[in-house]
Amino acid sequence: MKWRLAALILGCVIVLAVAVSVAGKSPIEALTTLVKGSLGTPRARAGTLQEMTPLLFASIGVFVALRAGLFNIGIEGQFLVGAMTATYAGLKGPGGPMGIGLAILAGSLAGAIWALPPAVIKAYRNGHEVITTIMLNNVASAFTAWVVAGPGKAPDAGSPTSANLPASLNLGNIQLAGVPVSYGLLGGFLLVAVVGWWLSRRVTGYEFRVTGANPRAARAAGINVPQQYLRAMIFSGAIGGLGGAIQVLAYEHRFYDSFSPGYGFDSLGVALLAGSQAWILLPAAGLFAVLAKGGTALDIFGVPKGITIMVLGMVILVVAAIRYRREDSVE
Amino acid sequence: MTGENSGFAFSLRQITKRFGPVTALDNISLSVKKGSIHAVVGENGAGKTTLMRVLYGAIQPDSGEIVIGDQAVRLPNSATAIAKGVGMVSQHYAVIPELTNLQNLVLGAEPSPWINGPSLESRAEALARKMDFSFAWNEPSSELSPAGAQKLEILKLLWRNSQILILDEPTAMLSPADGDALFASLQSLVSAGATVILVTHRIPEVMQFCERVTVLRGGKWITEVAVNELMPGELAHLIVGDGLPESAPVDPLAAQVGAPSLKVSNLSIRGDRGNLAVDAASFTVRSGEVVGIAGVDGSGQRELFQAILGVRSILSGEISFSQQRVDTLPPARRIAAGLRIIPEDRHEEAIVNEWSLEENSILGLQRLPDHSTGGSINLKSRADWTEKVADRFATKRGTVKQAMASLSGGNQQRFVVARALESKGTILLAFQPTRGLDLAASARIYRAIRETAASGNSVLLVGFDLDDLLRHCDRILVMNRGHLSESASMTREAVGDLMVAK
Repeated sequence: MKWRLAALILGCVIVLAVAVSVAGKSPIEALTTLVKGSLGTPRARAGTLQEMTPLLFASIGVFVALRAGLFNIGIEGQFLVGAMTATYAGLKGPGGPMGIGLAILAGSLAGAIWALPPAVIKAYRNGHEVITTIMLNNVASAFTAWVVAGPGKAPDAGSPTSANLPASLNLGNIQLAGVPVSYGLLGGFLLVAVVGWWLSRRVTGYEFRVTGANPRAARAAGINVPQQYLRAMIFSGAIGGLGGAIQVLAYEHRFYDSFSPGYGFDSLGVALLAGSQAWILLPAAGLFAVLAKGGTALDIFGVPKGITIMVLGMVILVVAAIRYRREDSVE
Repeated sequence: MTGENSGFAFSLRQITKRFGPVTALDNISLSVKKGSIHAVVGENGAGKTTLMRVLYGAIQPDSGEIVIGDQAVRLPNSATAIAKGVGMVSQHYAVIPELTNLQNLVLGAEPSPWINGPSLESRAEALARKMDFSFAWNEPSSELSPAGAQKLEILKLLWRNSQILILDEPTAMLSPADGDALFASLQSLVSAGATVILVTHRIPEVMQFCERVTVLRGGKWITEVAVNELMPGELAHLIVGDGLPESAPVDPLAAQVGAPSLKVSNLSIRGDRGNLAVDAASFTVRSGEVVGIAGVDGSGQRELFQAILGVRSILSGEISFSQQRVDTLPPARRIAAGLRIIPEDRHEEAIVNEWSLEENSILGLQRLPDHSTGGSINLKSRADWTEKVADRFATKRGTVKQAMASLSGGNQQRFVVARALESKGTILLAFQPTRGLDLAASARIYRAIRETAASGNSVLLVGFDLDDLLRHCDRILVMNRGHLSESASMTREAVGDLMVAK
């Protein structure tokens, strides 16, 4: 498996080099730009960590649902309604830690509620969650856009945006090696650990995974399968909503139209890279963040951002090809 | 290259196949005369299925030669084998439940890119009638009984003009009557010039229906003989080699029968199609007793099993475990109350194939105090527990971290049975517990089930092999289209009559 990973990284570098050459730039220079732009300076590193935060939360959400066998494509919508709800809860609620707690709770709850209809439809009517969640993404993006353009618009704002949150609702950072790391991201690390622990050590986590791996065996093992589906979608949605709340409290401090550049969709790729191991979400989200941040630098350098997206796409494709390769079976 | 192969449908010559360090097939040759039924027998892991998959193009041998008709051939894949007239029905039926019977029949062998339903259906019907089968062509295949799926699989081979039919354990899921019917149709196929290779564990089938038999043991060719030259009992000895029990003795009946433990009264259950699958069934299993449920497949056994486990709702009636009503309790509570199960379909209901043995070892038992405390899985004791389960019936395996998928089917079954027996319950519900196991392993498992009963458990055993049931049960109940009745005497005739009575 090790050499495959090395081959994968090498392959990505080669593809990137070829693509950059086609775009008319020197591959070596482009690569240094990419690495420098994402990891080269403390500022770049801080930006990469910021990119990583929403990707991490959203991908934990997707990952959790996948463990129970459900593909929650609706994470983007849950992220959006979570961010919006957290913003208004923060604006209306008290300042300080209480306000932060309230905003986080409100965001998570909103995400969970957004995932509820697909959850119920899946659990009790066996309606496919991909269809229902993807539809709710559109509803979420139109709905949140309407709120910030209409009833929730800051009175003095020129564009569709909410008012800014008071400074007391800022999550804050700690400095690690001269790089500010948001408590939000640290919370994401913690959540990965909790999810990994829960899945492997707790009976409820075990039952959750049995449902994902073999629902009929789950039923025979005394597990209430519809209940697991409900739980999976609600957890997943709540984590998506939590990610939105963290994004607001840690970085954005307001909600506006087109709040997410597609974190939810990118997180699907992150979760697919992670497979069945929660901790792999960390390097996978990190890789996506490096390519996103470095891609911006490349863009300025003159290589279109589409090329880094293309590389990401290839990474996922190759990983999927390796993971789902048919094993030769013996009698 | 043209080989002189007159009279043989095919020849496998000196086939060797290794999987890593294991030699699965060691220089094995097999030639089968055209128009005959030839049995390939051996214990689990003897290499029977592997050899058949070589002939079917699904496995490439490391060395050896394959001759079909008069031609030496290479079979890089099954498509080539099918084109050469070789077809195989494996133990796990490849019928897609979402498709209709007709769609399943023609799948991958459609006569043209434009599918003409009516004309296909009339061709399918003609083919089915030749075999004395009948199908509702436009019903989804999910409605088929195992016997029906088996028949559809055979028809699929004929649709593809297979002249060499490989059947891997075809009667494992069938009632005696369905099994006999199957062999009757195979014999008519053979007399029309087809060749049948039968991979089986069941010696009576070999003796009754086959012309010649090849015995494999541990990947090696042991012998090939004409069936009519065999002494009774000789074949069993050839299969297991030296040091094997004479004929399996009839188990002693329950020495001590205790209080009623599993009690079912007036139980009615709806089937998937809204039919009355079980009609007012009443029976009691006392502790210390092994009670068998015989019956033609699809008579309501499955529904009864599911209702006692609690995964199928009941229409009316009562189920109780040791005087306690359980019919309104969810399955988890019934397991907590002492119910242990050996499900019918190992792959679908009893294991997670890609998981380790360790993770599989607590499946269904995860909430019992032995395996979790305060909602946390007892990881420390789980490894020991897994060893214990695996060693109960000498499951051939590596470490407990090894994936379930890396075990052979028989070893998986051993593991599943041991898991149910080793965890101390009070009621054991077993559906064909020795499915796919060889003689020696089956005998050990039935002995273990008897011991479980002797230690105070109640056992309800659903089976399709009447001889096994008669040999190992204290009493036999017969299900016949949803009606349950008890056989007055423990003879093949008495039970058989009840199975088919109108």
